[in-house]
Amino acid sequence: MTLRADVLVVGGGMAGAMAALAARAAQARVVLVRRAPAATALSSGAIGIAPDLWAAPEEPFAARLGTAAAARRLAATRPDHPYAVVGASLERLEEAMRFAAGELAPVLAPPGDRPLFLATPYGAVSVCAVAQRTMLAGDLATARGPIAVVGFRGHLGFDARLVAGGLARHAAAGAPEAIAVEVDLFMREEQSLARPHELARALDAPHGAEHAGEVLRRALPAGAGVALLPPVLGLDPASLAAERLSRAAGLPVAETLSDVPSVPGWRLQAAIDARLAASGVEVISAEVEGDGPGCPARAGELEIEAPRWVLATGRFVGGGIVRRGRLVEPLLGLPVTASEGGASGIHLAPRPSATLTARERRAPQPLLAAGVRVDRALRPLGADGRPVHPGLFAAGAVVGGHEAAADGTGMGVAILTGFLAGRAAAEAP
Amino acid sequence: MSASRLASLSYLAYRALLAHPFKLLRRRGTGEERFLANYAGEGLVPTAPGDRAVGEAASACIGCGLCELPCPVAGAAPAVRALGLHAAFRLYGRSSAELPFARGPLSECLACADGRCDAACPTGVPISRIVKHLATRAARAPIAAAAPAA
Repeated sequence: MTLRADVLVVGGGMAGAMAALAARAAQARVVLVRRAPAATALSSGAIGIAPDLWAAPEEPFAARLGTAAAARRLAATRPDHPYAVVGASLERLEEAMRFAAGELAPVLAPPGDRPLFLATPYGAVSVCAVAQRTMLAGDLATARGPIAVVGFRGHLGFDARLVAGGLARHAAAGAPEAIAVEVDLFMREEQSLARPHELARALDAPHGAEHAGEVLRRALPAGAGVALLPPVLGLDPASLAAERLSRAAGLPVAETLSDVPSVPGWRLQAAIDARLAASGVEVISAEVEGDGPGCPARAGELEIEAPRWVLATGRFVGGGIVRRGRLVEPLLGLPVTASEGGASGIHLAPRPSATLTARERRAPQPLLAAGVRVDRALRPLGADGRPVHPGLFAAGAVVGGHEAAADGTGMGVAILTGFLAGRAAAEAP
Repeated sequence: MSASRLASLSYLAYRALLAHPFKLLRRRGTGEERFLANYAGEGLVPTAPGDRAVGEAASACIGCGLCELPCPVAGAAPAVRALGLHAAFRLYGRSSAELPFARGPLSECLACADGRCDAACPTGVPISRIVKHLATRAARAPIAAAAPAA
């Protein structure tokens, strides 16, 4: 069978979803092929776009650069970063951010004027531009009164005392006092530890969140303004577990960001899948093979004909860049490059992989920034430095030049480049 | 050169130039038979090229745990839940001596033809194929009978 569409998106994470939804919003017929949940499902669940990388640790939260200003500064200092590569289109970052939050409104809260300072499950603070509704009350810059950090006994992935101790180090920057509390909930006799998704399902269940809220209310320290819980506040946004818990406990509750296995990440991926289906994007679960726009792509039993493609296959987790003795882009065989010591456009493909990491931990790691190079319009470049096809675009982590772990811009790049590539693919002749 | 170093080098030369060639002349049986003669007692199973391919597929596992979310067995079977589906092949993918201890969870997994775990894996690990392979490998383990039923 053959499917015809205007735009074929390969990859179903944040970047692919933004591309598909942006193209769909411009009235294009869109087919999205994905293999499995993307690295988005393993994310912290919040959207980091551009943290202020230049701030001193004790600088007050209120004095940190805003998201747009930090993104502009990042673009000015790192010529390889996708924020710099897109040029003047970086001005559309806030539009892309609002678009993403609007499309995923069931889980994402609308972006505010200021970045959010959210606790991680290890007591560090991460700067995010957009967060899930379940995380919003935990913003350390705006939370009032002491924060009660609540752990569930038997939940191995979250230690309330560790988080509270970590947050105490941010008091100078404006974080409220944090008090650790541990409550006894949901543990059955024969279990020695609870996995995050099991706790989330227990809260999703009818009366689960209400019961937890009752127990929490009795355990709270006097004067607590916010309760900060592990990132397990429901797998299903429709169950409104966080709201129910908050009502029963009698104070605002929030969850921290997540490590893997990530319940908030899974929730975000589920919201993406639901939105894609509702907006009329044809989603196909299969491995895709093909030679680029102009030739039909094969996905399982199907053939897909589309004049424009958006490559949003991710990096190492998603399989957009793989190591087969060398670093390769497996779908179309595009050249893989990365920055190294400030120089741009070094061709990594012919190098042995062992030369791709630096021993110095804080040094730029070429391997972690590996990806395809794109031009200003997000069209991947071939070995000759020219776009390989006028109808081929790339978005998200498959685009090289940024190190999501070090610069905190992973989701921001996915949203901005996904949005721009989707629009460009829908409008290309 | 010290005397002890000379002695050890001479011994190595004797092994390489005399003992080993004579041993090769007297060698009998296939590689697998000789492997079993030497290592079956330690509970090790020979690694065939097929095993190696499966091991390579399993090495794409990043231990994220997404496969456990839709898993109907992890919720129902305490043995599988305790082991953790994604931990199964990370723990037992290499050391066949420990494989018999995982026979219980593996057979619970085998009985489930659901396949939702395969579809949930972000790095594309063929989980149900690996479980099937590990179960046959566990059955081949020579001391399987002595292992406790999990």
